[in-house]
Order: sequence, then C-alpha cells, then structure tokens
Amino acid sequence: MIASGHFGNYLLLLLEGAGVTLELSLGALILGSIAGVVLGAMRGSRRRVVKALAAIYIEGLRSTPFVILLFLMYYAVPVALNLDIPPYPAAITALSLHCSAYMAEVVRSGIEAVPKGQWEAAAALGLGYPRIMGLVILPQALRVMIPPTIGVYVSTLKESSLASIIGFVELLGQGMAIRESNAGGSTADVLLAVAFGYFIICFTLSRLGLRLERHTTREVREGARAGGTVSG
Amino acid sequence: MYDFNFWVLVPYLPNFLSGARLTLELSGLAILASFPLGLVGALMRISRRPLARGLATGFVEAVRNIPLLVVLYILFYALPAWGVPLDAFSAGVLGLTINSTAFTIEIFRSGFAAIPPGQYEAARALGLRSVQSFGLVIIPQVFRIVLPTLGNQVVAVVLGSAQASIIGVGELTYQTQSVGSATFRYFELFTLAALFYILCAQLIGVLWRLVSGRAARAPLGA
Repeated sequence: MIASGHFGNYLLLLLEGAGVTLELSLGALILGSIAGVVLGAMRGSRRRVVKALAAIYIEGLRSTPFVILLFLMYYAVPVALNLDIPPYPAAITALSLHCSAYMAEVVRSGIEAVPKGQWEAAAALGLGYPRIMGLVILPQALRVMIPPTIGVYVSTLKESSLASIIGFVELLGQGMAIRESNAGGSTADVLLAVAFGYFIICFTLSRLGLRLERHTTREVREGARAGGTVSG
Repeated sequence: MYDFNFWVLVPYLPNFLSGARLTLELSGLAILASFPLGLVGALMRISRRPLARGLATGFVEAVRNIPLLVVLYILFYALPAWGVPLDAFSAGVLGLTINSTAFTIEIFRSGFAAIPPGQYEAARALGLRSVQSFGLVIIPQVFRIVLPTLGNQVVAVVLGSAQASIIGVGELTYQTQSVGSATFRYFELFTLAALFYILCAQLIGVLWRLVSGRAARAPLGA
C-alpha cells in the first residue's frame, strides 16, 4: 500500500506536521499547567467561594467537548468581541483552557498526596497559606504529579488534532492537505501514516509516564516505610 | 458592545432537537456496543492464551494512542478506498465504538485486577468450572467495582460524539454550526451547545450514581 505515490516527498511534510503538533500541545501544556496550579491551589483553599469557583470552572470545561471549545474560540469570541482570531492563537487558547481543567485535577491529587504533617510543620513555622503552598507543599507534590502530567500531555496532543478543522496545519492538517493535493488517490496511505505518527509519539510518551510512575510509587512506598516523607 | 439575542434562534429549535436526538442515538449505540465488547476484550487481555492476549493488548495500545478524529477519518475516507463504503452515521458509530471499546477494556481489566486472588481460588475449590466461576463469582464483583468508572466512560462517549460532526453526522454540534452559518449568532449558539453537553454530563452523572448506588447495595449472588 505504502509503495503508491510519492510517499518519500510526503514524509518530510508529515514530520514537519508532527513537529508542529508537539509544539502546539507543549505550549498548551505549559500554559495549562500554570493555570492548573492556580486552580488546583484554589480547590484546596478553605474559602468556600474560591473553592466553588474553581470547581465550576473545572467541571464545566471537563464536560464541554473540545470541538465546542475550539469553535467558541474561533467563531464565537471573534463575533462577540469584534476581533479577528487566527487559527493558531484560537487553537492554543482552547487547548490551554482544556488542559488547565485536567491539570487542576492532577495538581489537586498531587497536593493531597503530601502528608498532613507537612502542613502542620509549615504552619508551626509561622508561614501563611501562599507560602506553605508555594514553598512547602507544591515542591513535594511536583514529583507525584509528573507521571499524570505526561498522561495529560498525551491526551492534549491527541485533542490537538482537532485544530486541523479550523485550518491549522499540524500533523493531521498536513495529512489532509496532502490528501487533497493528490485528488484522493492516496487517502488511505496518508491517513495511516498520520495515525502511525500519532501512535509513535503517544505510545513513547505513555511508556515513559508508566516507567516514571512505577519509579515514583516505589520511592513513595520506601519513603513511607522509612518513616520519612515524599521528599525524604 | 455585542448584543446577545437568543430569540433569533427560536425558529431553529427543530434543528437542535433533531441534532440532540442524533447525539443521543450515536452515543447510545456506541455505548451499547462497546461495553460488552470491552468485557470480552478484558477477558482476552487477562487470558493465558498469548494470541488472545496479544490481540487485545495490541488493539488497546493502538486505539488509545491515536486521536479519535484520525480513526473517524480512516473509517470515513479510507475504508471506501478499500471497497467498504460507510455512510457518515455508521462511520461515527463505528469510530466511537472502537474508541470506547479500548477504554472500556482497560476499565474492566483494572476491575479484574482488583479482585483478590482468593476469590478465584474459592470458586475453584467449590468445584466451579472456569466459565462458571467467572460468570457467577468474579464478573458480578467486577461490575460493582467498575460501575462508577463506566459512568465516566458514558460521559466520554457523549463528549466524543461531537467529533462525528466533522465527518458530517448531523448531530448537535453539526446543527449548531449550520445554524451558525445561517444566522451568524455563533456566540449564543456555541454557548448553548456547551451548556447542552455540560447538562448531559451532569444528568448522566446523577442518573448513573442513582443506578449504581442501588446496584452496589443489592445482595450478590441472589
């Protein structure tokens, strides 16, 4: 099947598309993580309003299909604000918002994994909430958070394929462009190559996440047995 | 300042209703197909036969690491090239089923992993055959464990069904877009669509908890 057409020529374009996919989703992951830390900390707050606001945001975004979020950014916001949003900013904003809701959950469970005694010790030192969170809890939570963060990256990367429908040329967009330029003859080849591209990237990342996870669980377990904490 | 006007959308109510119906049909079919398939796949994944295990594992790894949209495109654009023409709705149901089956296999597998080995041994000690011990002892307990997670999967399928609009299935997202191009009321439209899905997710969550709460309280093996 692969022998048909000028496949070698396409390969470079697809690789370029894969690079754009990685970049787009990494950008969204970074922005989403920053927002996720704020949201995760808000969910752990003692103030009920703050907590509820974060919960509504997270729940709302998690139950909105990413396509709708993308269309909101690309079609709805420009109409409402009377401005023009090109595909790239629209895609990265929508992806970051989507990502932030999932990262908030990762941050929250990371924070919950830090032993209560750490809070008490930090409070006994006279630190306030922002400092306890920023200097004591989050650095320890970070280690537990890395494997699930990779999981969020993989799912963000898969969702980023939807950016192709608003005309942004990443891996799938590149594949569809090749398909159109070739009048449909090699549709199957190109789509299979695109699928294979996503598979290689996501499979590798998932495996890495799994290995880190096993490593972390072992470390945490050993730390607990030694009577220490996550940070040892 | 943009002036919001939801009233212009009233004449399009039938479009939304037919779209919502199609969304529910599409996801309902995919769920009905993928849950039993997921159970079968999970049994294959924990099977001692290398071929069954390999097939199930390969399927799960492949599907979980490829975007749903790419699967939908392959079914809708590539299958006809191989001589298997599929209409958009069938491709949508099939794509969602494939996707949901992979995730459901993993859900059931973790359910099987959570059953203490003593349960398998006890079933064997009672003289039950393999099929009997799975059907009467293990699987009923697995169901209890996985019920909450299966509820999340139902929501995931409904949210995923929005992607079927891209291959032209006239479900809610598709209708929203087409009314949008007629009225240009994108902001109101996509806000309403988002609320529709959020409402669906909440409703499914509440109903599922109600049903699974009852199932968890019911005595086993009655």
